[in-house]
Amino acid sequence: MNLQASPNKRPKHDGRLSMEFQYRGNKTVLSNCYQNPPLRASRPLYINPANRSEATVYLVETSGGIVEGDHNVFEIDIKEGADVCLIPQSATKIYPSYNDIWSSQNMDISIGPKASLSFKTEALIPFEQARFNGKTVIQMAKDSTLLWGDILSPGRVARGEVFEYTDVRTNFQVWVDDECLIYDPLLISKDNMGLKNMGMLEEHLFIGSMWFVTPTIEDFDIRELNERLQESPHSKASASMLEGKAVNVRWLASDLVDLKKEMHRIWDEFASYIV
Amino acid sequence: MNNQREGSKNHSNTEVTNTNPWLLHLIQIHDTAFPTGSFAHSFGMETYIQEGDISNADSLKEFCNMYLRQNLASTDAIIVKEAYRLAKENDLQGLIRLENICHAIKLSPETRKGSMMMGRQFLQTVQPLNDSELFTRWYEKLKNKEIKSHYPVVYGIYTAMLGVDLRTSLETFLYSSITSIVQNGVRAIPLGQNSGVQTIFSLLPIIQETTNRVMTLDLEHLDNNSIGLEIASMQHEFLHSRLFIS
Repeated sequence: MNLQASPNKRPKHDGRLSMEFQYRGNKTVLSNCYQNPPLRASRPLYINPANRSEATVYLVETSGGIVEGDHNVFEIDIKEGADVCLIPQSATKIYPSYNDIWSSQNMDISIGPKASLSFKTEALIPFEQARFNGKTVIQMAKDSTLLWGDILSPGRVARGEVFEYTDVRTNFQVWVDDECLIYDPLLISKDNMGLKNMGMLEEHLFIGSMWFVTPTIEDFDIRELNERLQESPHSKASASMLEGKAVNVRWLASDLVDLKKEMHRIWDEFASYIV
Repeated sequence: MNNQREGSKNHSNTEVTNTNPWLLHLIQIHDTAFPTGSFAHSFGMETYIQEGDISNADSLKEFCNMYLRQNLASTDAIIVKEAYRLAKENDLQGLIRLENICHAIKLSPETRKGSMMMGRQFLQTVQPLNDSELFTRWYEKLKNKEIKSHYPVVYGIYTAMLGVDLRTSLETFLYSSITSIVQNGVRAIPLGQNSGVQTIFSLLPIIQETTNRVMTLDLEHLDNNSIGLEIASMQHEFLHSRLFIS
């Protein structure tokens, strides 16, 4: 069907995935799960050799991408002591909005005492003319752990589609009890002419972000990680410690494959701290 | 009408009524000798200077242009505007929440620290000069370690309490932020004082244009798009030799 010719024929999706995890006996179980298409979750898998009690769940978007007007909601509630790893099945693709209607995605995540969430790095790919509003709010207990990676892509780079989308807003927040530890809004529009300027994205295309928040991070060797990050010839990156509670790693990169490889490597390093 | 009549009786037209009683004080708090400690912070610019990306007046101006339009306009200036509004509404809880966001949006530790250092220094210096209840309570909160005292928040509250109009508050905030950066650039590159004066002069229209834009923005428009600068500020912590704290 040609969406451009008949934009009102397709019903909007209000996807919802609500999951509650609890630590029961000797493992984390998916104690509650509500799924509304196109969002779905796999059954929990126990595949982490370093932590057999951790539940790994794949997040699935059965429609293949978010189209104008779609609104997806994820509600993830990780109760005390539970360990969860969430893996997006693929990159989140945002299709063109020919009617200028925004699509959106909200993630509300709660991590209870002594619980952990590891969210595997994936990319957001806004196609030409896409309009997308994404918001992720994570509420954590003081002694809980979060490992999170994400990539904002400029579009379908392989077909020469670079920053052709109309608007992309993302807002990533981490609250530890009442304290806002991370507040990271990005707002990139097609008419934002300054992206290549010094201080902005410069000559790069991809923005990589990784956050590791854990009570045992204070003695992490941030200088050593920072020195390693400087070795990559294709990216500009740095790591820093926030308040002795979190490590923030930020990349600007030109090559998605190299960026993903490096982010996965560092994600695995951080993950080894969780056990 | 009465005023007009009284005015007509006044045979001496040399008396001037100052319609902006805060004007001279505003000039005072933006004097380079006013102790905010801004001379110690480059907010990431020093990394670009050491890498050779900022090496002359043109590249300094290019940097400042980005800093104004893409960084200050989408973070600190919006926070000044919001703090000003909340102060006028005497909304202390709103100000505390705003400061929480101001703290958390600065994702480079040195930039976070620099904003707090300047804010604390500014608050401690001007607190004896202003006895408004809200400003006194904000100072008490700093003493009790309940707030971090970020500079844009304190500046917004203080100018609101002075009775400065919002546009002037934003314009002077942007002006002082840019003059500090240019003067620090002049010292670090180094450049002659005349280059610094010319650079600031050439940025004045951009300050006004940016003020106009910020007047239309609110917290929904906050963005961290100047990621190159954020990374430069994070890298600054690990430079071998440094002239500035941030």
